[in-house]
Amino acid sequence: MSKPAQKPAPFARADAMLSARGIRKSFSIGDRTLEILHGVHMDLYRGELLALTGTSGAGKSTLLHILGLLDRPSEGTVTIDGVSAWDLSLAQRAQIRNQKIGFVFQFYHLLPELDAIENVLLPAMIHESRGTFSKRRREHVDHARELLATFGLADRDAHRPSQLSGGERQRVALARALFHDPAILIADEPTGNLDSNTGEKVLDLIFREQERRQLSLLLVTHDERLAARCQRQLVMADGMIELDTAIKMPD
Amino acid sequence: MYRWFLSLRYLRARKTNLIGIGGLFVGVAALIMILSIMTGFLEETRMSVRGSLSDIVITPFFGTNPSKKVPIDPAKMLAEVRLDPRVAAATAHLVWYCQVTKVGADAQDMVSLLSNSQIGNLTAVQLVGVDIPDEYSATEFKASLERLPLQGAPVDNVEDPFAIPESMQPNGLERGVIVGEKLYSNLNLRRGNRIKFATFVEDPKRSSQWISQSRDYVVVGTFRSKENEMDMSRVYLDRAELVDFLSSPRYFSEVLVKLKDYKRDGEKLRAEWGGSYDPGSPPGSLGAKELVYGHPSEVKTWEQFRHTLLGAIKNERVLMGIMLSLVLLVAGFTVFAILSMMVTEKRRDIGILTALGATPRGVMTSFLMIAFWDALIGALLGAVVGTWGALEIDGIERWLSSTFGVQIFDRNVYLFDTIPSVVEVVPVALIVLGAFVCAILFAAIPAWNAAKLDPLEALRHE
Repeated sequence: MSKPAQKPAPFARADAMLSARGIRKSFSIGDRTLEILHGVHMDLYRGELLALTGTSGAGKSTLLHILGLLDRPSEGTVTIDGVSAWDLSLAQRAQIRNQKIGFVFQFYHLLPELDAIENVLLPAMIHESRGTFSKRRREHVDHARELLATFGLADRDAHRPSQLSGGERQRVALARALFHDPAILIADEPTGNLDSNTGEKVLDLIFREQERRQLSLLLVTHDERLAARCQRQLVMADGMIELDTAIKMPD
Repeated sequence: MYRWFLSLRYLRARKTNLIGIGGLFVGVAALIMILSIMTGFLEETRMSVRGSLSDIVITPFFGTNPSKKVPIDPAKMLAEVRLDPRVAAATAHLVWYCQVTKVGADAQDMVSLLSNSQIGNLTAVQLVGVDIPDEYSATEFKASLERLPLQGAPVDNVEDPFAIPESMQPNGLERGVIVGEKLYSNLNLRRGNRIKFATFVEDPKRSSQWISQSRDYVVVGTFRSKENEMDMSRVYLDRAELVDFLSSPRYFSEVLVKLKDYKRDGEKLRAEWGGSYDPGSPPGSLGAKELVYGHPSEVKTWEQFRHTLLGAIKNERVLMGIMLSLVLLVAGFTVFAILSMMVTEKRRDIGILTALGATPRGVMTSFLMIAFWDALIGALLGAVVGTWGALEIDGIERWLSSTFGVQIFDRNVYLFDTIPSVVEVVPVALIVLGAFVCAILFAAIPAWNAAKLDPLEALRHE
């Protein structure tokens, strides 16, 4: 059933922050096996702004989750900063998610019981023991306040997500993703749930931070105009990377 | 850190947790109260089972074996027993069974009484000959004389209880007896009434022959022990008088010993005194014959006399505890239901936490900690309120009875007039611990489910 892997398998460049080689993912439905990804190779370079586009059902989300270490590939390797992530222990992978990867989701995914600043502090709470956290509490809170202020939410830090607008929620989510100053930011349709005006503002923020922090940004979108603003674009179709704008394809 | 933080936040944010806390609270409080009252009842029952039994009872063997030295007078045995530093007091009893009948009854009356199938008229009593004041220092007799009678009439002078007051016109030859108050009311007696006791004794002239003996006595008052059986069938009189009435060759039946510290010394002393078994005694005549200060005797602690009943009481308590622990199980179910609901509700949060670097174990711990807080608040509050309720149960019951006009606890049914309740530290601690274990164990299932949740599934949940 499985299709041949996309060719050629590129060698990883020394400055690859995130590399995937031969990623296959299949699901069993009853006695049928459904393959979603057919051996995907891709690289996200340091400080690169990469767009991942494709029609829905092309396997974008599945690939994204595998790259973000949330889902185990059936086959293939994911290397983050030179380390093969799926060979690590559960706790070590959790550590990488916490320290090196920031997530921004389409539906913000803030914890409703926590106010804005507590949501931003979550990565630190997860990373540190109770003792360490209370010792560094002041420092963490200041850092979170600063991030919120940078994103124009200085007076919103005590608000619950339900008291914030969509754009504000996404900015809180961005602050949370950037709390540990990760090397990689994975943004899954970050403006998909926002009106164009608000979405534009959030995007500006993301791009600004990407540039300032030299983030390796993987932006998943189905918006061609948005993808065009990125340095490189990968187009997915039918479980494979069909087009890499950096690679010159013959006509 | 997030485990603490999130569990507390969820606890605060989700009002349904209050049901879990409430369940544990009610369970623990009810369990402590019921168990304390049960313990109180059992303790009271234990005391009434003990009745007037002394710490240790020494029963010398008055066998017919001529080689046995039969102690006639208790003085020597008493003196020796009292020498032991662990002994607080000791006294001697002479006990004999008698038939009560009316004054002036003759052989004809006795025959008609004994041939009557209606047993109601036949009243067998136990005559107990005691020494005042030794009796007072070694047994509860004085307390049972001074206890406020429910159906009887107290004696005039506790210091000389068998004396017949002038008001009863003593003829100088009669002697006084003190009857149990139930017997007093059953026979419809009044103070000053004369009653006849009839019995059989060994003929002092012809060995191995019986003769009947009877004598009239004046009822000078009643006693009220904490034991129904005693109040119904015992009659006290002076030991010397009983010896005289029976023309008894032996002046006592048993020696009753009160110890300074029964719990500490009771079993030890019994073993010491009863340790040397006398192989020379005839088999099967009076159970184990043991030597006490040279006299073949049987030595028993009060618990040995009542070991079947005491065993039953202990069993009852254990069974009761097991049955009542089911209450905690119900509280555990509540915690289980609420947490399961919460895990379903918080699927998305679990996914987010995983994306932010939480491990499945961390997620599981977060949910377990919610149960921990439930137990901490519920069980500790329950322990405090339950203990207070157990200590104040009498007042609470009285208040409830007077407020709602319904009698909840009928004090006439029992021999005690306040609801007994004994709060013990160990059972309370066990109950609290049980609540914790129950809550955590039941929470383990939904917490485990939370940990197993696919973070993607959780994240897609919108």
